[in-house]
Amino acid sequence: MMTQGSLRIGRFSVLLHRRGIVVAGVLLALVFAIAILAVQLGRYPMALPQILATLSGGGDAIAEMIVLDNRLPRILTAIGAGAAFGFAGAMFQTMLRNPLASPDVIGFSAGASCGALMGMMAFGSTFVLPGALIGGLLTAFAVLALSWHRGIQPYRLILIGIGASLTLSALADLMMSRLDMLTAAEMAKWLVGTLNARNWTDVIMIWIGLLILVPIALWLQFALSRLAMEDDIATGLGVALSPARLAVTVTGVALVALAVSVVGPLPFVAFISGPIARRLVKGARPALLAAATVGALITLLADTAARAMPVVQLPAGVFTAVIGAPVLMWLLVVQFNKGKI
Amino acid sequence: MHTQTKPIAIVNVMDNRLFALGLVVLGLALLSVLALRFGLRSMGFTDIWASFVAFDPLNASHIVVQEIRLPRLVAAVLAGASLGMAGALMQGMTRNPLADPGLLGVNAGASLGVVICIMLLGVTNPASFIWVALGGGFLASLIVFFLGGAGRGSPARLILAGAAVSALFLAISRGLLLISQQTLDVYRFWVLGGFDGAQFSTIIALAPFFGIGALLAGLATFSLNALILGQDTAKGLGIRVGLAQLLVGLAIVVLCAATVAMAGPIAFVGLIVPHLARWIAGPDMRWMVGFSACLGACLLVAADLLGRLAIFGGNMQAGVMAALIGGPVLIWLVRRHGVHKL
Repeated sequence: MMTQGSLRIGRFSVLLHRRGIVVAGVLLALVFAIAILAVQLGRYPMALPQILATLSGGGDAIAEMIVLDNRLPRILTAIGAGAAFGFAGAMFQTMLRNPLASPDVIGFSAGASCGALMGMMAFGSTFVLPGALIGGLLTAFAVLALSWHRGIQPYRLILIGIGASLTLSALADLMMSRLDMLTAAEMAKWLVGTLNARNWTDVIMIWIGLLILVPIALWLQFALSRLAMEDDIATGLGVALSPARLAVTVTGVALVALAVSVVGPLPFVAFISGPIARRLVKGARPALLAAATVGALITLLADTAARAMPVVQLPAGVFTAVIGAPVLMWLLVVQFNKGKI
Repeated sequence: MHTQTKPIAIVNVMDNRLFALGLVVLGLALLSVLALRFGLRSMGFTDIWASFVAFDPLNASHIVVQEIRLPRLVAAVLAGASLGMAGALMQGMTRNPLADPGLLGVNAGASLGVVICIMLLGVTNPASFIWVALGGGFLASLIVFFLGGAGRGSPARLILAGAAVSALFLAISRGLLLISQQTLDVYRFWVLGGFDGAQFSTIIALAPFFGIGALLAGLATFSLNALILGQDTAKGLGIRVGLAQLLVGLAIVVLCAATVAMAGPIAFVGLIVPHLARWIAGPDMRWMVGFSACLGACLLVAADLLGRLAIFGGNMQAGVMAALIGGPVLIWLVRRHGVHKL
């Protein structure tokens, strides 16, 4: 069976990996199906006809408020943010050739937590999300600048990122222990990442960001599939290592910053989407599209679980790992039994 | 002539390493004396000496040295040495210089155990966290071990399994902490990691674990030298890979779980110390593990001492200090000396 084909439009041709496309398609259909389910679920369950009527403008005011102002923006934000995390994670893992490498590795999450706590301590709760964004970006660029040595070398970047990460998360822990109890409890919620009360501004922001960044990311995939090989081979194939790495890093950081600025530092999505996608696609090539759909699926499921949880209100960030980790574990076991790993 | 140069070169290398190891041990001894001497209140050397040879239970200085500073020092040495060894073993086994003992799920499992213990039993005294932390750490690492292929899987698979289990346990802890504020209030201090209020009773209760862990680590180093060359090569050299991995994994878990139980989750030591050791001792695991133990002990004793000094308000936890010192040091080392791959 042919596993690859090429798509040719005029002068441009794209090499397509058949299994990758199929997997991404199936996952996308799943995201769509769960999104439809998620609109119906919630504290006020609604039937599909009622929702369709509301969407076409024929519903009552309460239904309109629930569907249009509450559930739809939240679902669309979850899908967009999850896709951004998935994309960014897979890009970092492929570029740095290390399954542990995710945006967290270059200090983004720790910087974001620190920034959020500092914003809270200095200016109050409205500055938590801007603080997180600024902290994350500053850390990412500081790490990049510190590790720059005639270009980007993966291990250098990772080690310096880990150094920065651990120091910043110790600082964040320290700040948590110096806060008063109520603020600490509130911050614990923020630091996990939540999709509560998202509105259409968030939706527009994340999707416009994705529209700009995803084509760049896909174009970089070409360079990435060569970067995934050893440096010598990649140079031999004519890929200029450092500009490609810098472009990948900046695009990845921009994607994470975009997602964090909308939903906060949602844990684990960026880290887990890549490995899951890779095991589904079964190729040695980077599977960015599949990773993005896995990220969207996990985030959407997590937020739906957070909304549907009956007794206690927990933020979506608690559920991303609870949903994602077992999937990865299951894949590890299944593929082992088939002798794939 | 040609045949004679080689042995001499090896002897020189041995001498240099022994010399370096001697220096590190000397440094540790020096740091230990300083750790006994300084704190909120400085002690004279005569007082310290007298408290060992002629302990006077009515002398406040003797009590401070023997019952507060000495257990703290012993705890810091044990924790540092254990984390250093565990880190070296972990990086050797997974052949990944980013591997940290926390990745086997020990820290996450121990933390979940502590959270559940605070929440359900209302326990707030860190001394009674020992057994739940040990239990949680063992449980998590057992799951990781089997998901990672029960010793037959690749290093990448082990790392993924460890990360997945850690994330799952951490998420459950987080959820529980968000539900119960009282639990968060105890947990947020425990998680800093440190040796405040270390007691000899705790250390003695955990001593067997440290002993067994160190013994296993020592045994494991011999097969690790072969494992580092890759599983196929190791097999070719007659090493039973699964058994060797089991031995290494067991050593890591025992050392880490005992440390977390005693001092809370202390990050960074297990990650940075093996790098320092590799810079000094080269890739031979037998030396690496020895150096890592001594350097780890130095790092935590120094961190605890600095955290106690008045400039930091007198009560900065060793775990925080270790990260605050270690992070910049790691960055400086990487920038200065480049990166040594495994």
